[in-house]
Amino acid sequence: MNAAYLRTAAIAVLDVALLLVLSPLFEGVLRKLKAALHSRIGPPVVQPFVDTLKLLGKDDLLTVHSRAYAVTPALALASVLVLGTMVPIGGVPPLGFAGDVVGIIYVAGVGAVLLILTAFASGSPYAAVGGSREMMALLSVEPVVAVTLVVGAMKAGTLSAGGISAWNASHGPTISMTLAGLALFLAVQAQAGKLPFDIPEADQEIMGGPLVEQSGPRLALFRWAMWVRQLVFTLLLVELFFPWPRSGVFLLDLVSALAKAMLVLVLVAVVDVVNPRLKVEQAMGYYLRVAFSSLAALAFAVVGM
Amino acid sequence: MIATAAAETATLLRSRLGAGVLGAREMDPDLLWASVDRSCVREATTVMKEIGSRYLVTVGIDERPLGGGYGIVHLFSLDAEHLFIAVDCPVSAGDPRIDSITPLIPGASWAEREFRDMIGVEPEGHPDPKRLVLPDDWPEGVHPLRRDVAYNYRPPSVEGFAPELVKPPRGSSVLPVGPFFPVLEEPARFRLFVEGETVVGCDYRGFYNHRGIEKLGDSVLTWDRIPFLAERICGICGFIHSTCYCQAVEKAADIEVPRRAAYIRTVMLELERIHSHLLWLGIAGHILGFDTVLMQTWRIREPVMWLTEEISGNRKTYGMNLVGGVRRDITDAQLPRILDVLKTVEKEALAVRKAIADDSTLHARTVGVGPLSTWWAKEICAVGPPARASNVLIDARIDHPYAAYDDLKPRLCSSDGCDVWARVIVRLDELEDSIRLVREALANLPAGAVRAEFDEIPGGRVGVSAVEAPRGEAIHFVMTGGENRPYRWRVRAPTFPNLQAVPAMIRGQSIADVPISIGSLDPCFSCTERMETVSVADGSRRIYTLQELQALAQSARARRGNGDGGAP
Repeated sequence: MNAAYLRTAAIAVLDVALLLVLSPLFEGVLRKLKAALHSRIGPPVVQPFVDTLKLLGKDDLLTVHSRAYAVTPALALASVLVLGTMVPIGGVPPLGFAGDVVGIIYVAGVGAVLLILTAFASGSPYAAVGGSREMMALLSVEPVVAVTLVVGAMKAGTLSAGGISAWNASHGPTISMTLAGLALFLAVQAQAGKLPFDIPEADQEIMGGPLVEQSGPRLALFRWAMWVRQLVFTLLLVELFFPWPRSGVFLLDLVSALAKAMLVLVLVAVVDVVNPRLKVEQAMGYYLRVAFSSLAALAFAVVGM
Repeated sequence: MIATAAAETATLLRSRLGAGVLGAREMDPDLLWASVDRSCVREATTVMKEIGSRYLVTVGIDERPLGGGYGIVHLFSLDAEHLFIAVDCPVSAGDPRIDSITPLIPGASWAEREFRDMIGVEPEGHPDPKRLVLPDDWPEGVHPLRRDVAYNYRPPSVEGFAPELVKPPRGSSVLPVGPFFPVLEEPARFRLFVEGETVVGCDYRGFYNHRGIEKLGDSVLTWDRIPFLAERICGICGFIHSTCYCQAVEKAADIEVPRRAAYIRTVMLELERIHSHLLWLGIAGHILGFDTVLMQTWRIREPVMWLTEEISGNRKTYGMNLVGGVRRDITDAQLPRILDVLKTVEKEALAVRKAIADDSTLHARTVGVGPLSTWWAKEICAVGPPARASNVLIDARIDHPYAAYDDLKPRLCSSDGCDVWARVIVRLDELEDSIRLVREALANLPAGAVRAEFDEIPGGRVGVSAVEAPRGEAIHFVMTGGENRPYRWRVRAPTFPNLQAVPAMIRGQSIADVPISIGSLDPCFSCTERMETVSVADGSRRIYTLQELQALAQSARARRGNGDGGAP
């Protein structure tokens, strides 16, 4: 019994370490790709690490003096790491439990809520506008994520993410799961904060929005949280909705999941490169349509397709 | 034909104003100078509006050393007849007041505020008589363009001064854009009054960059130095300003520019339009978060910069113009290279155009955004692509042909879209047309000299010149003086009228639309405010000795050398 706990704990720690290391690396690769499409050379692949280390080494300039405000960046990073432990990786969620799908839906919103609170607390008009945009984005994207996960849960007959992944891997593609997967793919674009949906940050309009007052270690942690978040959501997508081929060998499945995640992120980056930024109400309209489309997936799931 | 129009206008003014017309004469073939009594200024303006002329700018002149008072000269353009009309209203020195014409022509607002600041004549009945150019803590009663104020006058410093700010309407809050803002390349301050994401109003304060270029021109420099200063008015369309200044002097002094020089100017002007429009397209993309457009257009633009470097020696700020012609010829050996670059630029610009033409996300961000109605564009006297994109059919190259545009007819690119997208399309059309114009100019390049010699330029003459800059029509007014320099040199950059359209364009829009709405004007604050950098160097030379400057440069090198990873 104790050995099992230890093993779970060890896997969770490894998972967190993997996410922390891989997410800046993936971001670095994406920047390189984006630069290539821009006819630029671009920064070295390890630049996100260098930036993060540099920012972490700077003084913590708190513009608002409150204990709660001081810890929001760390909590934001922690929340996405917790989310990461509930999402299957290589077919197995490191800290999976019965009903963890509900947990995923809730924890997924925590990071955004922390960012919104930070924005409103920081007292800058740009952050306030960014915060309200972030809130609107959250409200329009979260339903899409929820509906797609419900489709998975209905099809697999379980509220466990690992269960859904295993069911999908063994049953092969179905109409409802594919549709739900596509809807979730569209949501990843916003969850990763990429164009045309980087509306809350919108450097050219509101100078980074919620992050305008963040610098040094606080900025590093928020950005790190953003990178982990884009990787975790991509993993959620490929593990639950596109888990094939699954060999049953953990390491092979892990590598294949990461490769598929990279592929999805490349698509996300290409969409980012070929689009200008939408306005927040245009983005909300878009996600409303995506949410309705994902209801179609739900309908298919109800009739068993 | 111009002469007929001038005579008819003079007759009309006389019949309407009677004894109010103090004199009317043709200064240039294309300039009617009408002196009217200041009490008739509104009536004269009404006549100008009735005959369909377009307000350009107002020039304030301190004529006290000449034995007069102050001259307030409203400039108009009768585009169809290619005629400039100057309505000159002498104002007595003891009673410096004149009726404001802003109630008749909203576009005159800034120009009137400017002469209020700079010359000290009060525009009576102006709806918003506050400072435009002078800093808020500038002492009362010091008007820099008066002849008795030295060019290097420095007001005493003021402590603890806070300017009074316009209060936002009830229920709205203030979102500052500027003085420094990511997508404003230069300082300007728009205080947006917002309700949620909707802009309900704004307050503008600019002219943080005013460096007194006009003052330097009419008190320190000489005829042939000013083109180099004029070129530094703008970092992008500098050649426009040096050409415009030279043409104004050439008109005033009756200097015939050799045809070859006129063609070379045309080539350089159009090359400048090509790289400026590509630059703008990139910035517009960047404002919308579409950095791919920025990176690609600036990559396409770069060979044009190398080309101008090959022709003039400089990527920008060519230093080619002089009164009477140009300093650099285009050799036959350069022609194939220029044509090669044009071919590449044309091909790649077309590819960009194709890529963005049907981009639905781009349309969502630009169609219907930053609206400027045809009516308001005319009222506010907008110029250039923003005016043409609002279906106001004006183009200085056609309205007042200069350089070689009498031979090489430009296409008037316009649209009735009245929004940001229309401004994109107009500029893309102009880009193509500019490439054609350069090709035609090079194919028909006449032989001969590139510069005319001239003798002493007599005083008391006036020249008005318009040049179609990439951003719109630039106007230079030169009144000659006897000291080998202008008595008064007035520059009106295209952004000066266009920026006045901003409040109407962003009212009711969302915050997200504000940067691209302002950006769609291709605003150039340094042009508008006539900032320039050479005067700093000039000033430095007066303060520092050469040795001191060298020591300064060496210490800067030393500092760089001590920094981490610095060059040896």
